[in-house]
Amino acid sequence: MFRRISNFAVACAMVLALGLTTAFAATKTTTIRVAGMKCNQCASSVAKALKATAGVQEAVISSEKGEAVITYDDEKVTEAKLREVINSTGFKVAE
Amino acid sequence: MLRAAVFVFVLVALSHSALGQGVKAPSLTLKSTEGRTVRLSDYRGKVVLINFWATWCPPCRAEMPDLVKLQRAYGKDGLQIIGVTYPPERRARVRRFTRKLKVNYPVVLGTHETKAGFSPDETLPLTVIIDREGTIRGIIAGILLPEEFNVQIKPLLQRRASEGEMNHVQKNK
Repeated sequence: MFRRISNFAVACAMVLALGLTTAFAATKTTTIRVAGMKCNQCASSVAKALKATAGVQEAVISSEKGEAVITYDDEKVTEAKLREVINSTGFKVAE
Repeated sequence: MLRAAVFVFVLVALSHSALGQGVKAPSLTLKSTEGRTVRLSDYRGKVVLINFWATWCPPCRAEMPDLVKLQRAYGKDGLQIIGVTYPPERRARVRRFTRKLKVNYPVVLGTHETKAGFSPDETLPLTVIIDREGTIRGIIAGILLPEEFNVQIKPLLQRRASEGEMNHVQKNK
């Protein structure tokens, strides 16, 4: 009887741990500074390229602030990949 | 019922014209950087991509090598890219830049009005897709992505040139 209860408790703990891991791993928001993004007409290419990247949920670009605020699933895409995508649009990520 | 149908038709027609899609492309005659006259009508029967760009626009510069590759790969299937610059621009600078990148399609010097004639969208780069009959089939704002090429342009290329010309001749009868 005791063994059954302990097995059940272990199973519950595992399910709970898995759920918590998934919940915490999901969404992240990062702000990346982008150099030379002075041309309003051109900045939309950055948002477009980011939004076309798997795992990116939202990308808000501000040419005035020279930054990209990106919400993404960190299980599907890394911040390094996001920087690579920005660089591929002709702009350069400011370190 | 009839009134509702007419309303829906007008709405669809308006949305298409606002996007510049499904309408005949305006005529375009401009001088290339090499001094040659380039007319859009000369490319009837081909799938034309009018790419508005500028040397001062980083995404435009980043996109250009891919456009050169597309022209090389799909030129035999009837793809014709025409680069149209957006001001302020200097002929010498454009020529230097296109030579450096070995641009394999005509590049002409445009004005604000040239771009406005195709789309009110201010985005750069901006690519207008024109089918073999000279009808605007889409406008792509920002860098042309491979998925956009596959979905919006490849099907137009797969329709044979003769098919497009035939439709054009029949419509003009």
